Amino acid sequence: MTKTYMPIRPGYKRFKTLVVKTVLHILGRSFHSASKLDPDIKSEIADWEEGFRFMMKVYPQGPRMSVEKRKGILKFRGFRPESADLIITFKSLESAFLLFTAQCGTCQGFPESRFIVNGDVSRAMSLTRCLNMLQAYLFPSVISRLILKRLPPMPWYKQLIRLYIYLLGLPLGL
Amino acid sequence: MSLPSYYEFFNPVKIASGKKALDNLPYELNQLNVQRPLIVTDRGVVEAGLVQVATNAFAGSGITLGGIYDDVPPDSSSEVVKSVARVYQQNECDGLIAVGGGSPIDTAKGVNILVSEKSDDLLKFAGHDVLRRPLNPLIVIPTTAGTGSEVTYVAVIADLERNLKMSFTSAHLYPRLAILDPRMTLTMPPKITAATGMDALSHAMEAVTCLQRNPVSDAFAMAAIELIRDNLIKVVEQGRDIESRLAMANAACLAGAAFSNSMVGLVHALGHATGAVARVPHGVAMSIFLPYVFEYNLEKTEPDMARLLLPFGGSEEYVKTPTGHRARRTIELIRALRQKLFDLCALPRTLKEAGVSRDKLEIIAQKATNDGSLTFNPVEADCEDALLLLKEAYE
Repeated sequence: MTKTYMPIRPGYKRFKTLVVKTVLHILGRSFHSASKLDPDIKSEIADWEEGFRFMMKVYPQGPRMSVEKRKGILKFRGFRPESADLIITFKSLESAFLLFTAQCGTCQGFPESRFIVNGDVSRAMSLTRCLNMLQAYLFPSVISRLILKRLPPMPWYKQLIRLYIYLLGLPLGL
Repeated sequence: MSLPSYYEFFNPVKIASGKKALDNLPYELNQLNVQRPLIVTDRGVVEAGLVQVATNAFAGSGITLGGIYDDVPPDSSSEVVKSVARVYQQNECDGLIAVGGGSPIDTAKGVNILVSEKSDDLLKFAGHDVLRRPLNPLIVIPTTAGTGSEVTYVAVIADLERNLKMSFTSAHLYPRLAILDPRMTLTMPPKITAATGMDALSHAMEAVTCLQRNPVSDAFAMAAIELIRDNLIKVVEQGRDIESRLAMANAACLAGAAFSNSMVGLVHALGHATGAVARVPHGVAMSIFLPYVFEYNLEKTEPDMARLLLPFGGSEEYVKTPTGHRARRTIELIRALRQKLFDLCALPRTLKEAGVSRDKLEIIAQKATNDGSLTFNPVEADCEDALLLLKEAYE
């Protein structure tokens, strides 16, 4: 009997896609809230030109989200495919999942080539500093300590900002 | 060493190293199917008689040189790249030979992008992994022993019109062949020999201690450090020592292959910024910052710094140093090497000796924190940390 070799249609990782998409949504909204309130993020993005847009996406056709600087703050633009000045591309859904579930920090993910960055390097460094601060807000310090090279200081007013992000920023996009 | 949870290593460059290695050039070109190569170089290399050594290799080979472009400036720009590409096309060339240091090599890489992609806009190809197909053959003949550009996949070219530095990184940018011939570095003056040697040392040592290190890049880096230990002082003292010149060319090449895969950290971030702001030559800056940054990083890199003592200090030094002191001993030996190079050829040990004015430290610190190399440094460094290090390294 002759064996037949049929084309294979790969499946779809629904759970991991959902997790990655959810974290992208959380990141997008927290960029928005933190850029309004956090003095360090404000001063970091002060040099970014109006209309500057960055995108995070998963190769090849995975989830994506973009954020744009408008009127001095970072606005979450949702998941639409569009061009951007700076693009962070995760090489696979698994790589994005590792990073987004805090199994691997940005400081480990980049050296491990889990994602690549296209765009101006100095702007990418500035964005990385914002991301580090954002991660410090989003994760409890016990996790942040594992994924960041150095934990940013969290004085009382930053605890209030953290509360704002959790209570208003994430659920309502404020 | 602990194995990284994931790593990548790639280096497809054939290395031809040894006495008279250059004379195999016609054979190697034939293997690459190149009939009409264009040589890209600068005036300094021509005046040192080094291009003559390369062209002599073609005598009786039947190969016609497509031309010698010898006007590459010290800092390559897109205008120069376009102008070389025009010569390449007019003379119907089919391959490139870069002879020189960083600038001719980066220029040749840029030319290769334009002529292979049949385009005149370099900016379209700037960034990481933008190039999608193999480029024309590029052969590199380095005339310094430090940058390691002959085995890297990076080119940095200035766009003067738009006032920006374009960075190109792609596996397609790797040269096909690197020729290490000791004749090409024999005439380097002692101070430049010392500075480029320290550049190679910084590549190798940062390759072992930074976040993207891996077992393969480690092997390259450790071999490079041993060669530098045994030969750097010798070539500074005896510039005509062919064996040591060849060893240093190999060290730079091995260190280049290592750091091209493991990347570099804070030493380079500070060095790039100091070069850009105060025009301190790259190798000099590397030599100045090495011990300060290694001390700063020590809390995270102690085991790796201790491992470096074996290739850098030798087996006797390694055995006689107690386990807990090996990392610090490595740093002491780096300081001793810098002192020796200062005594031999006045290689600066501090920023002050390198002619940097104190009022520039702040802007250097700011620039360093936006340098991509910082991502790979094991310890976080913000602007304040960078400024502190610069002040320490000042005098």
